[in-house]
Amino acid sequence: MSQPESHPLSKEALAEFRTDIAGWLEANCPLSQRQPIVREEQIWGGRRRVFPSQDAQQWFEACRDRGFTAPEWPVEYGGAGLNSEQAKVLKQEMTRLGCRPPLYCQGLWMLGPALLVYGNEAQKREHLTAICRGEIRWAQGYSEPSAGSDLANLKTKAEDCGDHFLVNGTKIWTTKADEADWIFCLVRTSDVTPKQAGISFLLIDMATEGVSTSPIPLISGESEFCQTFFDNVKVPKTNLVGELNGGWAVAKELLKHERKMMSAFEGMLEKPAMELIELADYAVGSDDQERLNDVELRSDMSRHLMRETALGQLGERIYWQGKAKQIDPRLPLLMKHLGTSEAQAKDELILRALGDEGLSMEDPNVSAGLRKMVKQWAFNKSLTIAGGTSEVQLNIIAKRALGMPSGEGKS
Amino acid sequence: MILNEEQAMLRETVAQFFAEKAPISELRSLAAASDERGYDPQLWSEMVGLGLPGITVPEAHDGLEFGWMGLGAIAQEAGRCLVASPLLSSVVLAQNLLLNCGSDAQIATYLPSLVSGEATATVALDEGRFFNPDAVATSDASGTLNGQKDRVLDAGQSAYVFCIAKQASGERGIALFASSTEGVSIESRCMMDLHSAGSIRLDGVPAADIVWLTGDDVEGGIQQTIDQATVVLAAEMMGSAREVLERTVAYLGEREQFDVKLGTFQALQHRCAHMYCELELAESAVSAALTALDHSAPNIGLLASSAKALANDCFTLISSEAVQLHGGMGVTEEMDIGLFLKRSRVCNLLLGSSSYHRDRYARLRGF
Repeated sequence: MSQPESHPLSKEALAEFRTDIAGWLEANCPLSQRQPIVREEQIWGGRRRVFPSQDAQQWFEACRDRGFTAPEWPVEYGGAGLNSEQAKVLKQEMTRLGCRPPLYCQGLWMLGPALLVYGNEAQKREHLTAICRGEIRWAQGYSEPSAGSDLANLKTKAEDCGDHFLVNGTKIWTTKADEADWIFCLVRTSDVTPKQAGISFLLIDMATEGVSTSPIPLISGESEFCQTFFDNVKVPKTNLVGELNGGWAVAKELLKHERKMMSAFEGMLEKPAMELIELADYAVGSDDQERLNDVELRSDMSRHLMRETALGQLGERIYWQGKAKQIDPRLPLLMKHLGTSEAQAKDELILRALGDEGLSMEDPNVSAGLRKMVKQWAFNKSLTIAGGTSEVQLNIIAKRALGMPSGEGKS
Repeated sequence: MILNEEQAMLRETVAQFFAEKAPISELRSLAAASDERGYDPQLWSEMVGLGLPGITVPEAHDGLEFGWMGLGAIAQEAGRCLVASPLLSSVVLAQNLLLNCGSDAQIATYLPSLVSGEATATVALDEGRFFNPDAVATSDASGTLNGQKDRVLDAGQSAYVFCIAKQASGERGIALFASSTEGVSIESRCMMDLHSAGSIRLDGVPAADIVWLTGDDVEGGIQQTIDQATVVLAAEMMGSAREVLERTVAYLGEREQFDVKLGTFQALQHRCAHMYCELELAESAVSAALTALDHSAPNIGLLASSAKALANDCFTLISSEAVQLHGGMGVTEEMDIGLFLKRSRVCNLLLGSSSYHRDRYARLRGF
């Protein structure tokens, strides 16, 4: 087993590391775990975890034991202590073989990196290890019914009761909170202004008395999101991360990592049952010159595919600007709004093309793959809402990219 | 997808040059003098002095070999000032048609005077109401060249015409002749964007006065040239769109109503932010296409059509919104905003509308 290194590795050492990793993956990753991951087979860990297959369990445990669930975290907290070069090699080798991510977890992507910066030693030892080992599954408690885009308006209160906080309030859009063990929350600990200055970051064990969660049925027929209630919940003071009333900084650190980690997984997502062009040909048919019979759909598909490609090209531009140190800081501000609205445009084209087969999410006469696309159409309506609505994105673009003057709203 | 140091320096030089020598007021005074030439020969000779005619031409042909990204940057700067010049007609279209379709001997004969700026040429591509380069009626079937070409850029001021026409064999070819040749009549017109294009009537142009280009792959060369010019025009349009968006945002930051700057209204902020998103999205497609030209990438047809369709849609949106957001001033001749609007609509038609390019894109991808 290679030791963590803080200084850059020589070319030879890195090449040796690559050979070592490739051999290890070949020996430890079962063939069934080298297929594109489907949502139902993702391993999320937690007290109530179940493995979809013996292979999946074997792959997870092999990675866990070598610290590969969190390759860059220190060994003493359950990681593999790899430096960024080594972690890149590991990722490249996993991508090359098509290995599935061994563990999915909000603790891994979001809480962990923030704890590494803001957590104290005891918190790191307790929580980071349990995250890497897949023993505890985390949920995020940010939004509230009256604090969505205006997150700083949150009202869930943590009252100082000497040795503990007494928490009362509710958190909404707590993703998969009904399957989570712990929740990291932004809570109000002071009524000062600005509102951001009275917020603290608190870790709460969801098994504590007074915590309850109920799923929220969505228009896609799923219940990805929940609402979590806190009714006189006692939380030990040792669960405060960072300074009292310093939670906003922790939350910001955490958001930085969210996007980075999510993009790392994008390449390993499940492929749709059919690509758009194939689907349209299947559903509406084509003439003897291979032109789709629905001319308007055909034109709209061209428009969408051009824009989808251009989005990738915008990403490339940002990448090359970064490499050449000629960064235009305005460009990354556009990605969320453009990307999510184009994803919805694609869903609308799919639904239009499907016609009758797009009318039901449950009809057993329609293939599961197509039904999934219809569900996706409904579910993806949340893309332009979650993680900063398109309207908030446009506010940010107007102010930061175009330098337009501030008005009466403060977002 | 980014400029190298030399390209960035040239861009800066050219930007300063256009701002000084070719502000929009110059374009207006040219048109006011009902000058049918369409551009100012003095301005062009100074552009020649900067080496612009040889910008993408290989060094072997005495060019600067600055690449398509470099040319794209210059086209963008020209677009900012709505500069009228033979950049598109002669430098991009005519020179590249010659390079892509001519024999070595033909290139050696005709290219030097174009690269040195001694002469300019244009390409007669369109026939009829819309851009459709596949449908060519002009032909020399009867032994002489007959037909009509439309929207020939800078037709009245070009010494040579490269005319896409059907050869006796029925294949598309390129007939090169001097614009003063017998049987060639040119009717110039100043379009609403104050740029010049003309119709060329060909009535029995004698075969003896015509040179047909005889390179290895004339058909492929025609398509290649159209794609190259399409991408450069798209780049120019992005420059114009960026300029008019910046002017609009600046105006909203100054104009006060209801005791506040108009730019503080969220409804207007969101419209500007939307335009900016569209601008950078289209700009990315254009950059990718320019880069692909520099690397002779094989899928240039798809990239060129994407770039032009996105540039059309983006410039159309931004120029329309610019007029609306300037309020009453937007529809006055005093402001230049209306000229950007008109330029956008002219550019839409040149080298293919969005409908044309969406159809072509679908064809190329097989749906």
